[in-house]
Amino acid sequence: MDASLDKQKTELTAKALSHLVIEVDDLAVGGFYRDVLGFAPLGSDMIGNCGASVTLGAANGGLLVLSRRDDRPDCSATGVHQAYAVGKAARATIAAALKDRGIAVHTYKEDRPAEEADNFYFADPAGNRVQIVARDDAAGRPPTLDHAAVQVANMWWAEVFYTQTLGCAVEHRVGWKTTDYARAQLWADGKEDMAPGTRRLDQRYSSIVNKKAMPRVNLQIYLRMGAVPFAVYLANQHFQEPPENMLAGTPRAGFSVTNETLDNTARILDAARWPQHGPVLIGEGPIARALYFKDPGGNFIELAVRREN
Amino acid sequence: MADVETLSHSGISVHDLKEAEDFYCGILGAQVHGAVNFVTEDTLKGRSVHQSYTLGDFLFALVLAPDFMPMPPADKLMGVNGFRHAFAVRHADFDATIARLKAAGVPFKGPVGHPDKGPFGESVYFKDPSGNFLELLWRRDENVDYAKAPQLDVG
Repeated sequence: MDASLDKQKTELTAKALSHLVIEVDDLAVGGFYRDVLGFAPLGSDMIGNCGASVTLGAANGGLLVLSRRDDRPDCSATGVHQAYAVGKAARATIAAALKDRGIAVHTYKEDRPAEEADNFYFADPAGNRVQIVARDDAAGRPPTLDHAAVQVANMWWAEVFYTQTLGCAVEHRVGWKTTDYARAQLWADGKEDMAPGTRRLDQRYSSIVNKKAMPRVNLQIYLRMGAVPFAVYLANQHFQEPPENMLAGTPRAGFSVTNETLDNTARILDAARWPQHGPVLIGEGPIARALYFKDPGGNFIELAVRREN
Repeated sequence: MADVETLSHSGISVHDLKEAEDFYCGILGAQVHGAVNFVTEDTLKGRSVHQSYTLGDFLFALVLAPDFMPMPPADKLMGVNGFRHAFAVRHADFDATIARLKAAGVPFKGPVGHPDKGPFGESVYFKDPSGNFLELLWRRDENVDYAKAPQLDVG
């Protein structure tokens, strides 16, 4: 890896998160996102390559798409999550609604300095881990799509792909410093709900060094596509990636870009002989053009040119 | 007696792996060779987090220390804290190497001259960002082709 990676000029610049596609066992989970988090239901099957789905509106044109899938992988023991930003008042409302429904809330000293606010985590009725980011400048209801976090089986390859191929910048790292291990000790001492870089709640994530169980960190990097953050975790367990020839699927993170950025990324991927699907022209709905590909961990990524732009 | 041929590689513990990589690659010119515990399989085995590098013909690993190590005071630039690594550069490149340290804002001590009759010419002493002692020197014997021990055909 080149030593100047972190200083590299960002080439893939997204304007915002356009949409997050998450998987649920029952589309009725949309009612939870409407009632508890304040998302606005917009309709069914509005976004392509999502199977049977419902779409809910977030603030600033963001879209949350719930896609029904029966054989979803269990990500409850991974760092995978979606984060929604709300104002302080909405945070209190959401916390109260979760309590009423008997849903456990977990806190965590955030890895990324920009998230060190009054945040918390919980699982939606389908088991997806949700992070609520409390932010003074955030909208009330509906929330803003803040960021998504995915996992990969090879962090080195992922970093090379996102930084060198796509030109994203690394904003923050966890697991590269001794101070991260000191924080892992706080988790081992029962002072944190989750170990750094894991979002795991159980005690499995410890390793054996000199025959002693040692609390440890999981590698993660926070990338930036322009101003839009995107988190990548090293998977701490084996997981099934989607079929190699499948390029547009769920779950998926969709980034809002300009036509120029989309075309430029398509050229970059083509030059790298990286499989992609598109650019696809879409006749109706909120997305006018889309480019689909996967990262080295098999995570579905979409670059979308929104029609209203 | 162990029939040791030469030093193969060494490991250097650091407090910040990325900062160390930027230092050893960006200032000293090391090249990344490999990485351990950047894949799920290593994580499941509980392996230490480290990356290996080559600097000239020297192979070394930067290892993330899971515990804080006692390090020397910031203003102490020359010494041994468990170990010190000394890297040789050509005499003709020595001044340019010092200029690179200066340009990167790396505090150093020297150049310090060595005895005329010894193999070492001059050294500068400094530390990596975690505080490990390092040395760069040129050697008077850089052009000497020491005779290898003769191959004795005893077969």
